[in-house]
Amino acid sequence: MTGSVIEFELPIERDKVREFALAVGEDNHLFFDPEAAHLEGFPDVLAPPTFTQTQIFRVSRDERERRLGANLNYERVLHGEQEYIYKRLPVAGESLKGIMWIAKDFTKDGKRGGQMRFVTYETKFLDANEEEVLTALYTLIETSKDAGS
Amino acid sequence: MTIVKKLTKSSVEIGMDLPEKVFGPITREEIKAYADASGDDNPIHQDEDYAKKSGAPTVFAMGMLPAAYVAHAISDWFGGPQNLRRFKVRFTTRVWPGDEIVCRGTVVGIEDGLVKATVEAFRRGDGPDGLELKHEERAIAAEADVELPD
Repeated sequence: MTGSVIEFELPIERDKVREFALAVGEDNHLFFDPEAAHLEGFPDVLAPPTFTQTQIFRVSRDERERRLGANLNYERVLHGEQEYIYKRLPVAGESLKGIMWIAKDFTKDGKRGGQMRFVTYETKFLDANEEEVLTALYTLIETSKDAGS
Repeated sequence: MTIVKKLTKSSVEIGMDLPEKVFGPITREEIKAYADASGDDNPIHQDEDYAKKSGAPTVFAMGMLPAAYVAHAISDWFGGPQNLRRFKVRFTTRVWPGDEIVCRGTVVGIEDGLVKATVEAFRRGDGPDGLELKHEERAIAAEADVELPD
């Protein structure tokens, strides 16, 4: 753990929510229809559960690497796991504050020989009242050069 | 539009299997649309030559595309996306253009007011030439905690 943190804004825009929801084949009216969202008690359409993946538009991989310093070799990196912990889903019209850091970084022996390094980036998303909306845990696995394929 | 069945805490039982949901087949156009919408512009998912240089027979889907299908299935099973409290995926194999994604879920616990489910998502298809893949194999192992109404 390096102690470095990246802060950024993630505006939740209705058109962007719609584009993302369509791209993942969603058909739930809560993502598309503000009226339907109102009927369920929400101020606007909801963002799909994996929508905050779009944070890469705000903090690119290069910027993340430069500022958090995991020093990963992306030729040997796989997306191993992804986890979200929700208080609620984001709502169109709000802007979330993202706070990202490296939560875990450890190495273990791989099944096929060599070592696997697990790096977990944690991003906490807060609303305008500084209340937590959700937390995203993005885990990359870097295989060692001598690992089997 | 999704027809949401009104599950409640009292109508859910441990061991209950959830109705299979099938998505796809995933196309290259959908992979591109997801790249554009999500910002995941890794060329390994879109550039045939780059994928081959990286040792893959062709492009493959970013894991978060089928992961979103799994979230969709869970939302449909449990009354809508707003009920999700935790969602975790572990990627176990790559998903190729032409693959369907078959989601199978089971209720594994009811704790502290949350329904806990596990979901396995299988890639189903012939896979690309040059790989001897099983027709169906697990691509994602997922867990979810859902808050249902009483």
